[in-house]
Amino acid sequence: MNFDFSDDQLQLRDAVARWVDKAYTFERRRAITQAGGFDATACTELAELGLTGLVTPEDHGGMAMGAVETMVVMEELGRGLVLEPLAQTLVASTVLSHTAPAPLQAEWLPRMASGEALVVLAHQERKARYRLEKCESKATLTLDGWTVSATKNMVPAGDKATAWIVPAMVADATSGSERMALFLVERGAPGAQAAGHLTQDGGRAATVTLDNTPATLVTLNGLAAMELAVDVGLAALCAEAVGVMDKTVALTVEYMNTRKQFGVFIASFQALRHRLADMKMQLELARSMSYYATLKLNAPAAERRLATARAKVQLGQSIRFVGQQAVQLHGGIGVTDEYIVSHCFKKLTQLEMTFGDTLHHLGQVSEGMQETAGVFA
Amino acid sequence: MDLAFTPEEQQFREEVRAWVRTHLPADIAHKVHNALRLSRDDMQRWAKILGSRGWLGFGWPQQFGGPGWTAVQKHLFEEECALAGAPRIVPFGPVMVAPVIMAFGSPEQQQRFLPGIASGEVWWSQGYSEPGSGSDLASVKCRAERVGDHYVVNGQKTWTTLGQYGEWIFCLVRTSTEGKPQTGISFLLIDMKSPGVTVRPIKLLDGECEVNEVWFDNVQVPAENLVGEENKGWNYAKYLLAHERTNIADVNRSKRELERLKRIAQAEGVWEDQRFRDQIALLEVDIVALEMMVLRVLSAEKSGKQSLDIAGLLKIRGSEIQQRYAELMMLAAGPYSLPFIFEAMEAGWQGDAALGISEFPGGNLANAPLASTYFNLRKTTIYGGSNEVQRNIVSQMLLG
Repeated sequence: MNFDFSDDQLQLRDAVARWVDKAYTFERRRAITQAGGFDATACTELAELGLTGLVTPEDHGGMAMGAVETMVVMEELGRGLVLEPLAQTLVASTVLSHTAPAPLQAEWLPRMASGEALVVLAHQERKARYRLEKCESKATLTLDGWTVSATKNMVPAGDKATAWIVPAMVADATSGSERMALFLVERGAPGAQAAGHLTQDGGRAATVTLDNTPATLVTLNGLAAMELAVDVGLAALCAEAVGVMDKTVALTVEYMNTRKQFGVFIASFQALRHRLADMKMQLELARSMSYYATLKLNAPAAERRLATARAKVQLGQSIRFVGQQAVQLHGGIGVTDEYIVSHCFKKLTQLEMTFGDTLHHLGQVSEGMQETAGVFA
Repeated sequence: MDLAFTPEEQQFREEVRAWVRTHLPADIAHKVHNALRLSRDDMQRWAKILGSRGWLGFGWPQQFGGPGWTAVQKHLFEEECALAGAPRIVPFGPVMVAPVIMAFGSPEQQQRFLPGIASGEVWWSQGYSEPGSGSDLASVKCRAERVGDHYVVNGQKTWTTLGQYGEWIFCLVRTSTEGKPQTGISFLLIDMKSPGVTVRPIKLLDGECEVNEVWFDNVQVPAENLVGEENKGWNYAKYLLAHERTNIADVNRSKRELERLKRIAQAEGVWEDQRFRDQIALLEVDIVALEMMVLRVLSAEKSGKQSLDIAGLLKIRGSEIQQRYAELMMLAAGPYSLPFIFEAMEAGWQGDAALGISEFPGGNLANAPLASTYFNLRKTTIYGGSNEVQRNIVSQMLLG
């Protein structure tokens, strides 16, 4: 049991923090949102830092780092409210390197690691909400290979990505029923369309429609692969949210120590001080559960699933509280577009509803709850 | 980073577990697991068993006869005791006054007092709070005047937990009214059998007498019972509070009680009620998060290379969770938690012939203590520095 970061991990954190401070200013971020919520140059800069290949195996041109390094990086990107979906690259790289056939890995992983290709998850369906097993997309095996027909919403930077990872149902010849499989679909493939739009956090997403679009099979064990993808995504999201909250609490502290009302700093009012203490509580509970989710990522699937669900239950509550109270403690300036804290709030709100919200994951925890408490860690 | 305990830590846990499960008397564990009333004898019996193994002073360094455990080992020891159903160690002797005597007491005081604390022979009490000094502890008024080779003590202490059993009491007394309130306080050890000491139990909302008022009327205390220097007592008290806070989150006990909550929920038919079950799930998440926070503090102590500013949060969260499990246990039983039969909280109660009651009117006898525990645990957000005082401390660290 040890929660110290290694020297290498601390150096990685510093490198990302320096980039955020110098290169990803609030002004630049605002400009990116005004230009559509996605900046290919920023993606290139992330690649130059080596981050797009963070978890990719070395023989595919990556750094072969793990969950803790991902957490460190995502925390710093969260602190900078970075819009470009690095977490998606890490999720896609993990899924491909764990489940895809070797040739497919060799074709895509090096390009993803170098930043040449952006591959994102396209799984959200209108009727599924957060339930991974609900999937209406269909895949068919033809003489020329697989084709997929699907409509997927809220695909991160979906109209900028090189390819999507798409879950779809296939007929299972042995059982006669359907099973979920995972496919890689290129954006330029026939029948593929992506309609991009802004998202509430200032970033970009797209609705992707596929109409008998040629696709490459990643795995026929699609549900397990999606669960892995979402768990990796959840752990990254938790870390990102911790970074945003850390920044949000720091902004609030600074504001309380500079804003004067009634002739005194508002930091002198106990009602506000206690609220800040409660924000700190939610931040540290969230950080604790971010560690927990990250350190359980290599556990057997059931244990991993429970851990990320528990983590998101805590994170969801923390996210809501910290975001709302930061706006409240800032007063009027907190609800303006001009000042950064509203952007923290909107980022947090979007993270709350990504990969399952609090109620969804509470349902997961509740459903799988054991009769004994046991030892958690 | 690693979530798992090291093989050495794991082996240590196994050894402690085996020993505790062998030596903890079954009748005591039964009471703890069912929140039945513990007698003075129950508590002292377990203290002496631990004392015989050298583990009552489980936080003590080896030079004073302790095991010299690391922070992680201490945590594992407390966890194994809690999960096995051991009563909580009455902390006033081994956890509170002993470290002060070790750090600031004279060699004579160490030789005189530490053995009785380590063995569990001598019951200590704490004389801190006064009617006018709760959260504002530095305002204590209980006077100690130096007269020759004695102090003469006059005043009142209150909220003295289990003081009715106390043989000795360590007190913060006022020896000077000059300067700031903190600079006129001394740390005095007082024999509770001394003439002029009166103990009056205070009946609490659950009907139990867990705390007491202690009066001092011209009590003569030998000057050799002063710990450290006169008027330096506040420093020693702060040192003690730092020791008191190590297990303030009490997460081990909350894990055990979560299991009990699940048993009660099943017996009362709400385990399958989705709305109720979700509340248990939420508490389970809260407990995991608290445990992770505790482990982070332990890890920081172990490595000693990072300072962690979250220890103050542990008291707030830990106490809230204790209140929540008690609340859910009571709500699980609902109206069947409401019959108040004081004797039904004794082990082995089999009805009351005088009342014409042959079984507990709340159905399951396990329901008898639920409401009382709920009422009793409202204390947790008040004692040890109220949660509002803790929030002041947390915000002070953030805002400067």
